Amino acid sequence: MHRLTTSLRTFGMLAVAICLIGGSAAAQPGAAPATSGSGGGERSGRENSFGVEVASKGLWKEAAYRWEKAVELDPQNPKAYNNLGVAYERSGKFEEALDAYETALELLPGNEQIRQNYELFREAYERKRRKDRDAARSRRR
Amino acid sequence: MGLSRYRRFASGAALSLFGFTACTVGPYVEVPIEIPIDAKLDLSEYGRVLVGSFVTQTNENLDLDSETSRLLRNQLRLNSRLAVIEAEVEPLGDFSDAALEASGLAEQFDDMAAEAVAIGDGEISRQEWIDLEQDKLLEDEDYWRQLGEEFEEPLIISGRLRFAAEERSGFSRRDRYVRDSFNRPRLVRSTQFQERNAYTLTAEFYFIDGASGRTIHRERFTEEVIFGRDEESSGLSSYFELMDRILPNFLSVVTPQTFRGTRILLR
Repeated sequence: MHRLTTSLRTFGMLAVAICLIGGSAAAQPGAAPATSGSGGGERSGRENSFGVEVASKGLWKEAAYRWEKAVELDPQNPKAYNNLGVAYERSGKFEEALDAYETALELLPGNEQIRQNYELFREAYERKRRKDRDAARSRRR
Repeated sequence: MGLSRYRRFASGAALSLFGFTACTVGPYVEVPIEIPIDAKLDLSEYGRVLVGSFVTQTNENLDLDSETSRLLRNQLRLNSRLAVIEAEVEPLGDFSDAALEASGLAEQFDDMAAEAVAIGDGEISRQEWIDLEQDKLLEDEDYWRQLGEEFEEPLIISGRLRFAAEERSGFSRRDRYVRDSFNRPRLVRSTQFQERNAYTLTAEFYFIDGASGRTIHRERFTEEVIFGRDEESSGLSSYFELMDRILPNFLSVVTPQTFRGTRILLR
């Protein structure tokens, strides 16, 4: 019992520490800002968060719809653009994903998570473009 | 005592729960995703595929044509939406040394090469000549159109296969750590002559439109397996090892692929 209590407490403290570090990272210059205080910004933030929630449950179409709505309500919301980039990439809409990631990076250039997504996306996108080029070349032959 | 233990347990559990909740509502979530990559070829107009025969060149004891046709048929059946036509097609051309000798083609080539030298055209390499002869067979649109008509105009897959044993002996660098008298590790670099052989497989696949007989796409892959001269390695097992490496690339031409990865969603 004592051992279980100790390990639970240790786990709890560790989890809190990790989240505090994560939270402080989010508060750094490159981190995503909270949505603006205007009504559109708040609603955009809510749509974005709801999108993340449903995407985590595998409902990506609904998530993409929410994120599209979020950027419509607040075109300065980098989080929604980033998430939209992920949704587009996942459904094979590479051009749209590129636009979304690039807009997210323009709005929040120093954000590590967006940059990481963007770099991983570029890898997959390059592979696809190489394939397309090969196919076009062989069609011309 | 019992109560205090209970309190300690409850506080630990609460702290864990708080930590877990804090993490799940953190600023971002990492999610696994699968990215679809289309097949290189748009095969929407084809419902069926015929694996034709291949022009082959090997001096190993291996039926390159039928082994490859069988393997491709199985892979297409498992991995593509196309219906695979179960039919054996007449062999296209065997360019092994023995077959060239037996058919008299080797002699014909020797005469032609000697004539070219005599009239000052320079030397012709035997491999170049073989490649040209194979091209003639593979680019014979009439033949492919007739074959296409016979099987109601499917997508036809054919190509050229070359499997050869090659010498790969040579010096190779070897790094190893040794311990000196003070037991300190020291890097010792040396070069060593190694007697090695290799099997090389070159496969060039032709994707042919069964209606027109035209080649719509072709793609070439080369793989090699190297082994020490004292290691046992049969041609057949090396062939399968090399085909295992080539098959994913072959399939990416006709079937969509998915790449797995993770991305970060921002709350």
